[in-house]
Formats: sequence, structure tokens, C-alpha cells
Amino acid sequence: MFKNYIKIAWRSLKKQPFFTFLNTFGLAIGMAGALLIALYIYDEMSYDKMFADANSIHRIHADIKFGGDAREFAVTPAPMAEALKNDFSEIELVTRFRTRGSALVRKADDQANVKEEQTTFVDASFFEMFGLELLAGDVKTALKNPNTLVLTKTAAEKHFEIGNAVGQNLVLNNEETYTVVGVIDDFPQNSFLRDHSVFESMEGNGDAKEINWGSNNYQTFIKLIPTVNAADIQEQLRGFLGKYVIPGVQQYMPGITEEQLKKSGSYLVYSTMPLTDIHLKSHRVAEISANNDIQSIYILSFIAVFLIVLASVNFMNLSTAHSLKRAKEVGVRKTLGSNKIDLVRQFLVESGLISFLSLLLALIFAVIALPFFNTLANKDVSIPFTSPVFWVTLLGSVVILGLFSGSYPAFFMSRFMPIKVLKGGGGSSVGGGTIRNSLVVFQFAISVFLIVSTLVVYQQLKYIQGKDLGFSKDQVLIINDVYTAGDKVTSFKEQVKQLGFVKDATLSSFFPTPSSRSDSTFSPEEGGTDQENAVSMQTWAVDYDYVSTMDFELVAGRDFDKNFGNDSTTIIVNEAAVRIMKLSPKEAIGKRYTPGFDSNNPEYFTIIGVVKDFHIASLKEDIDAVSLHLGDRAYALAVKIQPGDFTNAIARIEGVWNTIVPGEPFDYYFMEDAFNNTYQSERRLGNIFIIFTVLSLLIACLGLFGLAAFNAEKRIKEIGVRKVLGASVSQISMRLTIDFLKLVGIAILISLPLGWYVMNKWLEDFTYRINIPWWVFLLAAFLAVLISVLTVSYQSIKAAIVNPVKSLRSE
Amino acid sequence: MLLQLNNIFKWVQQGGQRIFLLKDVNLEVEEGEFISIMGPSGSGKSTLLNVIGMLDTFNEGEYEFLSESVHTLKEKYRSNLYKEYIGFVFQSYHLLDELTVEENLEMPLLYKKVKGSERKALVADMLDRFNIVGKKDLFPTQLSGGQQQLVGVARALIGKPKLILADEPTGNLNSQQSEEIMQLFQKLNKEDGVTIIQVTHSEKNAEYGSRIINLLDGRKI
Repeated sequence: MFKNYIKIAWRSLKKQPFFTFLNTFGLAIGMAGALLIALYIYDEMSYDKMFADANSIHRIHADIKFGGDAREFAVTPAPMAEALKNDFSEIELVTRFRTRGSALVRKADDQANVKEEQTTFVDASFFEMFGLELLAGDVKTALKNPNTLVLTKTAAEKHFEIGNAVGQNLVLNNEETYTVVGVIDDFPQNSFLRDHSVFESMEGNGDAKEINWGSNNYQTFIKLIPTVNAADIQEQLRGFLGKYVIPGVQQYMPGITEEQLKKSGSYLVYSTMPLTDIHLKSHRVAEISANNDIQSIYILSFIAVFLIVLASVNFMNLSTAHSLKRAKEVGVRKTLGSNKIDLVRQFLVESGLISFLSLLLALIFAVIALPFFNTLANKDVSIPFTSPVFWVTLLGSVVILGLFSGSYPAFFMSRFMPIKVLKGGGGSSVGGGTIRNSLVVFQFAISVFLIVSTLVVYQQLKYIQGKDLGFSKDQVLIINDVYTAGDKVTSFKEQVKQLGFVKDATLSSFFPTPSSRSDSTFSPEEGGTDQENAVSMQTWAVDYDYVSTMDFELVAGRDFDKNFGNDSTTIIVNEAAVRIMKLSPKEAIGKRYTPGFDSNNPEYFTIIGVVKDFHIASLKEDIDAVSLHLGDRAYALAVKIQPGDFTNAIARIEGVWNTIVPGEPFDYYFMEDAFNNTYQSERRLGNIFIIFTVLSLLIACLGLFGLAAFNAEKRIKEIGVRKVLGASVSQISMRLTIDFLKLVGIAILISLPLGWYVMNKWLEDFTYRINIPWWVFLLAAFLAVLISVLTVSYQSIKAAIVNPVKSLRSE
Repeated sequence: MLLQLNNIFKWVQQGGQRIFLLKDVNLEVEEGEFISIMGPSGSGKSTLLNVIGMLDTFNEGEYEFLSESVHTLKEKYRSNLYKEYIGFVFQSYHLLDELTVEENLEMPLLYKKVKGSERKALVADMLDRFNIVGKKDLFPTQLSGGQQQLVGVARALIGKPKLILADEPTGNLNSQQSEEIMQLFQKLNKEDGVTIIQVTHSEKNAEYGSRIINLLDGRKI
């Protein structure tokens, strides 16, 4: 019997190629989309699970509000590790990371440096904590001595064969010499250490041994003994505030107690987070590597489910619509002795077959779309064709999808009464219209919602792109690591400035990009050390050309000037800083502020200028207060160049660099790119929205197209009668089209308010944002109507031009 | 006694009024009879045939088929009953277009859960008997109307039913094809003892039968 089902299913699919195509194509699109998303989510969920005891590893977090803003840190004080080891029998191991950012690395007897993007000090317990094996070196002694380091395979191979690595000397940043004591495998892309390649022994980091509970710089990981829950240690961990931190604070503020601190609204709460949660759930200050947001996983899961549901709804819709053609078959089968169950089974086999065909098609789609998807999602996922688990899951899902999509049509069709359908009563015998209509409304509501979302995301991105940031990010080239030129850095700058295409150049470590941070608290001369008057500002060391190169606009006072001899004790601040001082820009000029708390011997800086506000972070955040002072230690040179041939300009600057410091890496980026990177996730979201809007529209249109065909067929007699009575082709096709437009209209009414609400929520994340313009809704509605008219009119016109003699003859 | 209808009423509500499709119909059918139901359009011929075939229900009265009270049976048992004992022949043949002649013949046997080897034998037998062996791999649309109806009759017979119900079996056929089908019915009735009830408009076709029932406005006359 089963063989017979398959045979019949296959033949009836072959007999209706158009219908089969609509169904398989729609399902395949939905499946392919969902499959790619599932792979992405699977990858995101797999972060840091490869470490042997990942489940018992946790990181210590600190939520701190001390006077100023509340901040959530991924880092804790250096002595935290020792305290944890002493106070908790539940903790088996503690490992600290003290990240150092990028470093230039060379062999001791070599001149040329190689840049490693991420390096860190780490405790020797590192290997045991994460279950790491050494490819070379002895795990028992590795990193136990100062000035030793361990490299990843890739980093090691840049300098020597892995087998020879141990015992070699490397120079970091041209000043510190380290001995290689081991080589480990590269970390996988889905681990929090993916970008780290050099691990220096914590023993050489003096700061690590100091008992200073006031500064938070150490990523501290613990491994719990197997029987212990992270929840069990939280209370004692919170007790660290009273036990360790308060005594430290009392040195600066004698007599202060925990209660007083709490009363003033300050707090410090230590907590833990499982290692495997970090990638999706942690958004703290000083993360060790960029994390994703669980929110984006939710959005994507939501989209995947929607795609599948849309495609499956399509299937139901088309199948029940198509059932008109199958009604006779159902009637005949029933008179031949088939009961309902037999028929239900038969139709389910058919839908199973369609979903299987769709799966094959979907896999082809997925393979084609994968490279594109990887670029879009900034991932490197692949389809695990060799994994049995993958196939079992896939086939299982297909069977479930087939059953789910097929169930409604199957039960719907098996209900047909033979005497009715065999009498040729036609459409009147096929019900289910309300359900079909609501399914169409549902599909279009989703599509319109997605159109609205896409338009809003793009409008916001356009707004960000065009926003006046208070500085000029265009044509500014930033050259990193110029400190390697040592004393010759100023002459490098001067030589670059001589180049014809260079408008200006400035040496600094700080630029208006999201990475530059250096906070200090300033106190005014008048008002003393009163907390009320303190101003927390970024302090950026710059040179004389900074303001002009960045195109800052002075609203009061003057720029740094060599003609004024004493500018070393002056600062320029931005409007945000002045607002905090509760002064007008004019009033601020001449005011004196001192950084730090050293009240015995204060060094005062005079405000000589106020510049217009400029954005240094994402537009999601408020503008920070910034102060500029003259300083000479600079990591980078910013060069403003004239529009034109950038490639040539960069080559010329590199030429200058190579004559001054041959062999040092020339590393540059454009400020505009750094700016754009800030909005990468928004851009990605925008692209994802566009793609899935198109997909969902496509699916909805396939469904509508099939439904229009069905409707035309069902009303063929009515159309015939109308034509006999004198209706024109256009009147009839209008009539048929308008019925569908009503459904689309309802969908629009449902989805526009929903879109408005949801997208306003999304925009709330941005401090600087657009108001959703009214035309977004108009355009979304118009697009939906236009697309549905185009879809439906083909069928409507086709039905309307049929000769009534044909349609009326059938009985 | 094959079947017995007692005081069968069937009606529909239309505009608050009862329109009677069948009104107080009594009928006894013995095995081996060949009955023709006649009457003008709308007289209830097909309705009566559908009630006998258990495809349609009735509002009042009693129906016994082989001593089973059909009106008290649940749908499942009813369908088992007609699956076992009744074969249907339709005016427009109603063969399944996706299936070949051979597969169409096999269909009722599948629903009766007859075993594979036996099915093959029965189908081969039937093809042989109706002289359509050469056409077994053709699809219905490749056959003439007469040939299709031949297959329709063969399909109705293959389950060895006691009763064949035919609703204007020659309605779509020309006179020569009609005559062949009627002769076939006669032969089946005489030689194999199959009971036949047919609905027909044609006096000529009705004469093949052993008894004629005339209906008018749902009433036997």
C-alpha cells in the first residue's frame, strides 16, 4: 500500500508541474533560509564549549558604582585571585589574564618586527584551567618564570620551526626580551581566545602582585570542583567588599564604612558568569574579545521560525486550494472502499514527498548561498555534510515539517463527501475559505512588517552616515605604531607634512574612534576637592596640529599655539565638558582644573579653548567630555590627505616611513573605516532584514499566485455567467483582484502599528536617532499592494478572457 | 433477501420548507435481480441509488442490507459493508487519471487488503475476461469512452461484489457502446448471478433488466 501511495504521489506531482514547483520552491526557500540560520545559531552557541571542563569554569565580574557612573566590568582587581584561592575550598583553580593589546615581535637577532594583534599576561595555571596541551615545551614548568612566553602555532611559525621554538628569545615592542617556553595550538574561531597569539608569564608583571583593590584590570577565571554550583559561592563572594575592598578605600577616605558607602548610592557587587555564557550574554567593560548579543540570536531564531511557518502555511494554502482538482479522486477512492485514514495517509505521504524534494532543493540553495551568507554574517560556517547527526536532524525535521504542513490539507481533503464531489458540484463543495484567507493575511502581515523594519533600519543607517560628527573623518589616514621610530617620529611627521598631497598631520594616541579611552577626574581650583564639582573627562595627549587635522570647530578661546610659550599647562575641552562644569564656553576660558586627588601639590591646567562637541563612540551613546593637552608620547600619526589617488598617497607615505625606520611594519587604516566598523552589527541587521524581507515576500507571492489560480478556477462558472450577461474582461479581472486586495489591506492594518511599535523600541537604543517618517508606512503599504496586484492580475486576466461557452459547458 | 428499504424519507430544508427528495420509499431486492430505476430529472433516482449504496444518508425509515440495519451502523462499519459487497459504476466512469488500467483495477483490492500475489491473479483474470489485456498499461485518457466504462465495470466487479450500482452507466456513450455495456450487464446478471441496480433514462436500456421502478418527485409509482 505504501508503495502505491508513493507511486500515486509521484504521479500526481508530475501531472501538476506548476503546482509542484510552487510548493517545492516555496518550501525550499524557507528551508534553506532556516538551515543557514540554524547553522549560524549552532555556531554561536558553541562558543568556548571546546574546553575540557568548560562547564565548571566561570569568570568573576564586578558591578561598580563609585561616585560617578555605574559600570559593569569583566575585570577585577589583581589580588582577587589570591583571595579566591585562600577563601574558597570550592575553587580548584584560578587563572588571570592581563591583556596588553597588540605587540611587535621579533627574534633577538632579527631586525624586522611582526605585529601580533592580541597579547596577554597569564598565570601558569592557564594550561590546566583550559585543558591545553603543549605542542612543544613542558607544561609543568611553562610560564612559571618571569620573561617567558608561550606562542600559538601560527605566531611561532612566523619566526621558527615549532620543534626549535623552545628556548629561543623574542623581543617584544623593541624593549622586552622573552624566552619561548612552549607552543600551543591555535585557538578555534569560536573561543574567547581566538585573537590571542602571545601569552606572557604573569610572573613578569609586577602589578599582578600588588595588593590593590582599587583598580580593575584582570580577567579572573575560576574552576569549581565538580560538586559545586556557581550559586553556592555568590554570597561569600559579595562579602569580599567588606573584607578586602573597604579596608583599601579607608586608606584614602579614613573612617568610611560599608553602610556609608551604600547610603551614598555607591555599590560594588562581585558575581560570576559561566565561561560558556560569555560570548552571548556578557557586554561588560574590558571584554577579552568581541562578543555577540543573545538578542541577535533571538531575532534570527524568530526569523528562521517565521520562514518555515510562512513556507509551511504556503504549502497548506496551495494544497487545500489545489484540492479542488483532487476532489474527484477522493470521491472515487471512497466509493472504492477507502476510509478517511487511508486518504489522510496518502496525502501525508504526498506532502512528505514534497518536503523531501524541497529539502534537496534547499540544500542546493544553501550551498550556493553559503559564501554570501558567511560574508554577511561575518562567519565561517560550513554545512556539515559528513555528520550523521546533521542528517538525522535534517531528515527528522523534514518528516515533521511534511507531517505538519500536510496535516491540514490531508484532513481537509479526506473529509470530502463522495456524492457531492462526484456530482461535479465544483468549488462549492470545497470549503476552508476563511482559513485560507487568514493564512494569506498572516503571510502579508509578516511581509509588510519586514518591509517597515528594513526601511527604518536603513533610514537610521543613512542618518548615522550623514550625521555631523563634529570632526572630519574623511580622507584621514591613521598610521599605527609610529613609536617604533623612537626619536625620529617628529621628523617622520615633518617629512610627511612636506608631501604635496598632505593637508595636515598630527601625532597622538587618541582619535575620535570608539577605541580611544583614558579617563581622569578633574577638580577645579575654586571649589576644591568637593565631589560635586569634580569633572570626569577623557584626557588625550595631542600635538599642536591636532585640532586643525581633525577639523574641530573652536567655539571659544584659541588653539594650542607655539607662540605662547606655556601651553604645556593648558587644555582644550569640548562643549560636553563645559556643560558638566555648568559654565558657558566663554566663562570656561581661563578656568583652572587639576587631575587626580593629589591635593598637596596640585598641577593646574588652564582651559584655553572650547571645541564643538564631537562623537567618539557609537551614536547609541551620549557625547563624552574630552580634554586635550599637549603631550609627546604618541602611538599613531593621523594624516589628512587631499582627495585623489589614495593608493599612491599611501605608497609615498610608506616610502618615507621606510627611509626613517627600515623594517618596522607599516600599519594603517582609514578613520572612516573605523567609524563604519562601529555600525557593523546594524549594517548586518539591515542586510539580514532585506534578505528575509525579499524571501518572505517571495514566499507570500508564491502562495498568493497559487491561491489566485484556485480562486479563478473556483469561480469559473460565475465568471462565465457574468460574461454572458455582458461584463467586460477588465470588470471581471478587477473584481477578482479586489477580493485579494481586501486581504492585503487587512494585513497592512495589522502590521503597520506593529512595525511602528517594534521599530521605535529598536531605535530607543540610539541616543541620536530618527523619527520614523510617515512615508515609510505609506511605501510599505504601497509595495505590498503593488506586488499583490502584479501577482494576482495574471490569474485574474487569464480567467476573465476564457470563453464562457467553455466554462459553462462543463455540466 | 439482499436488501430491504422500509418507509425511507429524505429531505432538505429550503427557505423554511421541507423539500422531499425521497418520500416513503419501500423496496425489496432479492439476490440475482436486475432492476432499472427510471423517472424524469429530479425525481430522486440518483438519490435512491446513493442511499442504497450507503454513500448518502436518509432522514427517516429503515434500511437492511444482508440483515444488517444500515441506519444504525457507524460510518466505519458502513464503509466496510459497501467495500465488501457493493461495486459502483458511474456515468462519467470516474477512473483515477494518474493510474494505468491495471492499477485502477487493483485499487479496490488494495483497500480490501488483498495480498499481492492474489491481487495480481485477480487483475490478470479480469483483464482477460474483459479482453483488455493489451490496454493494461494505458492511462484512462488514452482510452475511448466505451473502453473507459468497460474498465469502470471491471473495477466494480473485481472485488466480487454481490451488488452493482450503476448511475446512468451509458449516459456518456454512443448507442453502440451503450449496447455493449448493457449486454455485459445482462451477461453478468445471468451467468454470474450478480445483482444489478441501474439508473437510466433510456427505455431500451431498462428493458435489459428484470424489473423497473418508476419514481416521480421522490415517490415510487
